[in-house]
Amino acid sequence: MKKYLRAYLISLQETLQRRSSFVMDRLGGIAVMLSLYYFWKTLLWGHPSFLGYSYSQMLTYVLGMNILRSFALTGRGWELVGEISSGKISSYLVRPMNYHGYALALDLSQKTVHLFAALLEIGALLIFFHPPFYWPKSITAFFLFVGALMMASLLFFFLEFLVSSLAFWTSESGGPLFFFEIFIQFAAGAFFPLNVLPRLIQKGLSFSPFPYLVFLPINIYLGRVSRGQALQDLFISGVWAVVFGAASVWVWRKGLSIYSAEGG
Amino acid sequence: MNAISVNSLQKEYQVFNRKPGLWGSLGSVFWREWNNIKAVDSISFQIGEGELVGFLGANGAGKTTTLKILSGLLTPTSGSVEILGFKPWRREREFQKRISLVMGQRTQLWWEIPAQETFRLNQAVYGLSDKDYQESLGELVEMLELKDYLAVPVKKLSLGQRMRAELAAALLHRPKILLLDEPTLGLDVVMQKKVREFILDYNKRWKASILLTSHNMDDLTALCRRVLILEKGKLIYDGNLEGLVRRYAENKIIRIVFDGDVPASQIAAIGGTVDSQKTSMWVSVPRAEISKKAALLLSSFPVADLTIEEPSVDEIVRKIFSKS
Repeated sequence: MKKYLRAYLISLQETLQRRSSFVMDRLGGIAVMLSLYYFWKTLLWGHPSFLGYSYSQMLTYVLGMNILRSFALTGRGWELVGEISSGKISSYLVRPMNYHGYALALDLSQKTVHLFAALLEIGALLIFFHPPFYWPKSITAFFLFVGALMMASLLFFFLEFLVSSLAFWTSESGGPLFFFEIFIQFAAGAFFPLNVLPRLIQKGLSFSPFPYLVFLPINIYLGRVSRGQALQDLFISGVWAVVFGAASVWVWRKGLSIYSAEGG
Repeated sequence: MNAISVNSLQKEYQVFNRKPGLWGSLGSVFWREWNNIKAVDSISFQIGEGELVGFLGANGAGKTTTLKILSGLLTPTSGSVEILGFKPWRREREFQKRISLVMGQRTQLWWEIPAQETFRLNQAVYGLSDKDYQESLGELVEMLELKDYLAVPVKKLSLGQRMRAELAAALLHRPKILLLDEPTLGLDVVMQKKVREFILDYNKRWKASILLTSHNMDDLTALCRRVLILEKGKLIYDGNLEGLVRRYAENKIIRIVFDGDVPASQIAAIGGTVDSQKTSMWVSVPRAEISKKAALLLSSFPVADLTIEEPSVDEIVRKIFSKS
């Protein structure tokens, strides 16, 4: 355990050291948040509700997306792809450590820094723009949201790890990861609530793990989901996390056997 | 006792033939022709405890592939490898705690932050107690003269400083088996010497078995009594450096200093390859004819001095490589 804690701390240091790329990353996030914020603000002006979301709920959805993007949808997939194609993973494979655990520790450290940044950004937005912000009706809803956020984070880690591991087969590119990143933002509800989509697509997505990444956690926060339903969602996202956790371990092992057979 | 035991080791890769041009690239999206490449071809060798062995071969001869198999990164196609009783490709924790692989061109150090942070990570990774860690670190810092660079971000270190920090990171857990791939690559002469002295010192102090690849002949002559030479995946020589000279040097060198000018063409008529520098010349002559030719030179020209020498290891190795 100590090694993963140490990996978490060292990665935290490095993330803080790379200030300029971190700031650029955040600026990109702020731009997305602000544009979506103004988009929905303009669209909903004069309408008391839209698709069942009140004005304040919809604007809070946009701010919540910033939190979810920063904590749940942040990962080091590109680094993993780079490490696989350049052969850098060799230096981890010869050391007595579990790469999954190591990657999760590094991931968590990035998520920590990004979460703090996102909270600061939202705080600043609340102070300067006074948007109508939706505060949860009960402490239980808030804790259920935190639970869903954690689960979403773990689920995304496994999903991204799985897709990045495909670099063992497509060593010349991170093509699958590129597609994954774009697709997941739509499918998870990181651009707009999934209620906007046609019913059939919504139905289809409800059988996938994606809504558990952004859409459902925010809806839990917004109190649009009953406590019983929220607990059920948490359970299902846990099941998805286990399924994709197992799948990512399996694909990683398959990939490693190819790496071991073909050289790195 | 053998620390490393390799028997009939074989490794084949499948690579696909890249066709030239845009059409070739487009074509390869849909169909690929695969080729089997034998990177390591039935090699066997043993390395004892505390032995320091040089691993030689032209680029693509199979050295790095062999090192990767020994470190557990690659699974062999056939044959057996045993290191301290472990099969490397199983990557057991106990095995990994006893070995280290250092690749000159790849770093395990965290780039943006000081090397000491990577050292502390490795302390946790290898499960070293604070006491063991401090003792080992203190020793490495002293031997590698790293004291002033511990708190400097790795990206700000020179190549030599970084290589030394790399060695420290790889040796904190005092591995009994050390696999070094081009440890002096890109270093200046002074730094090469320091790294060499360190490797020798580590080998003696901890009775570690070390296998190192290098294109730098000074590394091999300074460090290794025994060398293994690979050519196109086959082990073509396993023995000491002197034996290498005897086996591969078909010619000896006669070095002559003349009393006055003698045209090189006249010497060439006697035989062998001639290299001249005003009044002194080097003639390369087959071993069997050495006394006959030396006598002929002495009787035909005004010779002030004549010596017979073996060619240098460097030259021989270059010859072996250029043949392959």
